[in-house]
Amino acid sequence: MTKKKGKLTKALDHLIHDDPFSKGVAFCPGCGLELLLRIIPRVLGNDIVITGTPSCSAPVLLGQNNRSWHTLSYFGTLMTGAAANATGLVRYYRKAGIENTVVCFNGDGTAADIGFGNLSGAAERNEPFIYICYDNEGYMNTGIQKSGTTPFGAVTSTTPHGARALRGKNVRRMNLGLQMAMHKISYAATATLSDLDDLAKKLKKAKEMKTQGFCFLHILAPCPTGWGLAPDHTIEACRRAVKTNYFPLWEAINGRIRMTRIVKKPKPVETYTRLMKKFAHLSQADLGILQDDIDYEYCVLGGLSVLESECRLALSDED
Amino acid sequence: MITKIKDKTQVKVITGNGAAAIAAKLVRPDVVAAYPITPQTEIIEQISKFHATGEMDCELITVEGENSAMNVVMAASLAGGRVFTATSSWGLVFMYDAVLATAGARAPVVMVNVNRETPGIIAVSSGQQDMICTRDAGWIFLIAEDCQEIMDLVIQAYRLAEDYEIQLPVMVHYDGFYLSYLSEGVDIPFQEDVDNFFLVLKDQPERTKLVPGGKLGCGSHGILGGYLELRYKHMAAMERSKDKFDLIDKEYEKIFGRSYGGQVEEYKMEDAHVVLVGSGSMCGTIKTVIDKKRDVGIKVGLLKIRMYRPFPSEIMVKALKGKKAIGVVDRSLSFGFKGGPIYMELKAFETQLGGSEMISFIDGIANTDITTANVGLMIDTLCDLAAGKDVREVTWVCYPEANEPDLPKNGRAVK
Repeated sequence: MTKKKGKLTKALDHLIHDDPFSKGVAFCPGCGLELLLRIIPRVLGNDIVITGTPSCSAPVLLGQNNRSWHTLSYFGTLMTGAAANATGLVRYYRKAGIENTVVCFNGDGTAADIGFGNLSGAAERNEPFIYICYDNEGYMNTGIQKSGTTPFGAVTSTTPHGARALRGKNVRRMNLGLQMAMHKISYAATATLSDLDDLAKKLKKAKEMKTQGFCFLHILAPCPTGWGLAPDHTIEACRRAVKTNYFPLWEAINGRIRMTRIVKKPKPVETYTRLMKKFAHLSQADLGILQDDIDYEYCVLGGLSVLESECRLALSDED
Repeated sequence: MITKIKDKTQVKVITGNGAAAIAAKLVRPDVVAAYPITPQTEIIEQISKFHATGEMDCELITVEGENSAMNVVMAASLAGGRVFTATSSWGLVFMYDAVLATAGARAPVVMVNVNRETPGIIAVSSGQQDMICTRDAGWIFLIAEDCQEIMDLVIQAYRLAEDYEIQLPVMVHYDGFYLSYLSEGVDIPFQEDVDNFFLVLKDQPERTKLVPGGKLGCGSHGILGGYLELRYKHMAAMERSKDKFDLIDKEYEKIFGRSYGGQVEEYKMEDAHVVLVGSGSMCGTIKTVIDKKRDVGIKVGLLKIRMYRPFPSEIMVKALKGKKAIGVVDRSLSFGFKGGPIYMELKAFETQLGGSEMISFIDGIANTDITTANVGLMIDTLCDLAAGKDVREVTWVCYPEANEPDLPKNGRAVK
């Protein structure tokens, strides 16, 4: 008990600022997004400018009918141009000499699909702001449709399970975090809600690093409603996602990858998938494909995290 | 056009694009978003040079597409900055969602649009189709006739956009190819004069700005509170911008010695029996032909549209009332409607015009020249109409085949 309490304090230590959100905001029970949204200003401060798009976060983040659920400065924008809007803000603030932390807060639909072009553009230009993608693996606000980060096999309302579609989504997810790290931006990292200490540290690091350039945080935020997950299993799903290497935790400074948590004995992906209904229809063979994809992604990540030193060694041998 | 001779001038031979770039430099923007597209590219190349040499002290963002260009300048504008970007054709329609959002947010963005066709990549050619595609976006649209007017309109556009009573985005249009690459003598305003011209904005109340820790949001989610109010106020600001533009044009003359008449320019309208209504670079040609026709006793005039949105209906009705025949020259189409788009709009005021006959001319699309011969034909047709003869309601001047009786009927005889 004492040990558990100590662990909690470690994460709570980072929450030094006020919670700018009102009580009883309009999210579904067990929403991962809500926890994340409340943590960000408590770690980064209430003087951030937060931008958001039409999404699950919109009703709370962007206010409703000219009323606001919070006291932050916010900029409600279109999914197509989120990163470009944040660019416009930070560049003007820089020109006018205004201290700022702009947080461009978007779901995976904006980050991985419709807004990927301008996310990539802002990353290439190394724009000085923080882009956070809360990844709930689909378009949840419009009724659970498939996105680029929806994993292989998952059922959504546009990848339903049926006689002709035994697998749900029949292609593998894109690895958004890794793609962003490969833009060689100042800071890229993954995080999730089961490891709040890690998440808070990465937020703080992003705030530090954003003076040098673009910071991207890819955060797994389960959607109980969309995933068929019990509302009290949100954090457990995050924990198992990490322990199965379904969502490994790493960071990359200027494109150089470092694992921030290494799972010594990763559990089979089934320990994660059985928590939710979206994978319930998958056969053992299909689960094997999902497992294979996870292993492959982890190998790439692991390889990249050690590759550079080894390559440099090999190069110096040639000399 | 009233032109005063100034004490000192600095006339240089530059292109239309060059004029736009220098005007953008003179207004001292905070943020510029740049993305290339023919025939606009020269503008952002020149601005990049100004930025590299330190002549321009702005944040220059070389975006990855036009959609981002508009999103960048919209946000920078709402944060409090003066912004500039330029585009054309496909670029304009690629940024269309952000163009609408910019108007909805009442961000005082100024953008140059170098008019170009939009039917496919086949059409790297002049035409106002891009302008027509986006006319209902809620922006103020201004159209320039020559390189000097491009320079002057871009500068005036900022005064209009940022005026506390207006707060609307302004798009300055000019014909691609005909003006973008045309070199002519342009009187370049002095920096001190431009700074002086903007001083009046400093005396106005400060507009709302999105600043860190400001506890202020923009782009709220929802459908009820405020939405209708915002729409109504947007429309009201549009209406106010008509007189404001006339006023700015007059103030501009005081400092720079050039005035164009505000919303419209009237050329030999006073005693005219027949009138051509046009916009953009075609007006120079039309004026030349009018002079020749007047030499042989034909009383013809030109009404040049400088402000296309809001539509200067009051001033146009006043100028056109009682004229025998009016011909509207359109450099674009409205598919499914026989006449050109501007013709269609003026037609709505037929009753107020009090019995003037009105016909439509389609010319200058798909890179066809609006030649002096074409304009001559238009004026002759108008004279026939004034004399009571049957003429087509719609004449494709640039494509006579469309006017043959055996081919698909594009118009009907009036009278």
